[in-house]
Amino acid sequence: MIDIAPNHKYGLSLKGPVMPAAGTFGFGDAYPNLVDLSLLGALVTNPVSLRRRRPARGRRLAVHRDAFVVHTGWPNPGVRTVVRDFREIWAHLPVPVIVHLLATQPGELAQAASRLSGLSNVAGIELGFTTGVSPRLAVDLLDAAREGDLPVIAKVPFERVDQLAPHLARHGVDAVTLMSPPRAVLPLLSTDPQMPIARYLRGRLYGRALFPLLLNALSRWAGKLGCAVIACGGIASPEEALACINLGAAAVQIDALLWRDPWLLNEIARGVGAPQPLTKTEAEAALREEYNGEETL
Amino acid sequence: MSRVVRHQTATLRYARPAPPLWEVRLDLNVAPAAGTYLLADFGGPVREPLYPIEVDDAGFVANVARGHPATQLLPGTSVDVLGPLGRGFRLDTTGYALARLLLIADVGSLPLLRPLYQAAPAVALIVEATTRAQIPSPTQFPASLELTLVTRDGSSGYLGPIEGNGSAPVGIERAGARVRELLLWTERVCFACDPERYPALAALVKEVRLQPQPDFAQAFLRSSMPCGVGVCDVCRVVLPGGEVRVCVDGPVFDLLSFLEL
Repeated sequence: MIDIAPNHKYGLSLKGPVMPAAGTFGFGDAYPNLVDLSLLGALVTNPVSLRRRRPARGRRLAVHRDAFVVHTGWPNPGVRTVVRDFREIWAHLPVPVIVHLLATQPGELAQAASRLSGLSNVAGIELGFTTGVSPRLAVDLLDAAREGDLPVIAKVPFERVDQLAPHLARHGVDAVTLMSPPRAVLPLLSTDPQMPIARYLRGRLYGRALFPLLLNALSRWAGKLGCAVIACGGIASPEEALACINLGAAAVQIDALLWRDPWLLNEIARGVGAPQPLTKTEAEAALREEYNGEETL
Repeated sequence: MSRVVRHQTATLRYARPAPPLWEVRLDLNVAPAAGTYLLADFGGPVREPLYPIEVDDAGFVANVARGHPATQLLPGTSVDVLGPLGRGFRLDTTGYALARLLLIADVGSLPLLRPLYQAAPAVALIVEATTRAQIPSPTQFPASLELTLVTRDGSSGYLGPIEGNGSAPVGIERAGARVRELLLWTERVCFACDPERYPALAALVKEVRLQPQPDFAQAFLRSSMPCGVGVCDVCRVVLPGGEVRVCVDGPVFDLLSFLEL
């Protein structure tokens, strides 16, 4: 068992280190015959807000080579409806549920978090921050989420890792997820030969190229925050998951790459098994060797 | 509600030009029905939907764009697919055999209705194009099909748009009267058009049939669908009747759900 919130009064124990990332796996009822949930450590739900959010307008997907950009507006029916519709499913899942809450306003977040208290098998909250959140607001949001009495994980935006991760760790967050996908822009190709690129799409970037960026963030912060770190971004194989664990990640999240290969979750979970991560000294030594002494951690 | 997702390995039989697109044929155990789709892995970061334009016991044919990765594959190549997925055209909801079917399509979406050309003893097809040059040759259609051609500029057949009203130049007849006649005659009507037209087409159906049964008129809605199981929310759209996910609630919807409330 891995406890990713050892300082919380309830803790957050996982059977294994692999879980889906928020926004990629729904609320627990997807892929029933393709993914064995019992092999996972937890289920992280799609993002939920206090009130209903409508979907974004226009096109929401742009693909370019091995990467793609998604912009959905995080539509969801609101925490009350989500709880009503899925609490029974969650109660019977073989893994604990971590509800991802959209962190925008402290007041709303506190209400949403309090609705999750006491739900059977709901074991934690993951906060999704906007890219522009200030460190002060992030702490206010963290405090608001704690009103729910559940362990709180902060999912830090790619662009703000260096500012937010240590700041939130100092303020007692139970765990940190490194990292939310970077914001990016891709052209939307048109069928009109006179104007092949008519518009652009700004949104979350997914793809295997995020993996080295994730390792960079992990190598800088894992083991230095004083709390558990969950790795997320471009992980697509058991070897890549192990690389994250060896750099100090307590668990890994598989992001939108699982839409192409849903069984990736189980393959990685089986491949990682009961991980024997390198010690901090061994990991640092391995990285120094890789950098050939040119850069220190 | 949990949905079981079928995982299959298809075999590419051929990929050949069918201007302006390409046609690919895949053999597999369970082929998609008209209006449903498969998500195929062609090596890109997300799977791509394939909609059947011909279906038989051994597989199906789908259109892809020129330059699509499938056009580079050799015959015999294995393709990993999820599906069939989604809700397709529903022709047997009344409990008795359908006798009269009406199909209405933009010329660009016409292939999506091709599997329905012989779905009933009497099938009428209305094809709308911008101008005469875009209209396919009538010899491409089965002889049993009752074909009506509509052009936006009146250069061939009736003057469009289908849902339009108003006067027409001397010697040209508007499509509206013909469409209304066929809507009165048919037991089911299937649309494959630009979704922006669906509210007006729904109003037309409502006007002609007064109280149409659910699924009397069905409309195909195309969308990006990277997951196919309703988790990614990329295909979630707001219809006047509520929010839907095209990948699991569609891609074929009751046309009246597009009717402005």
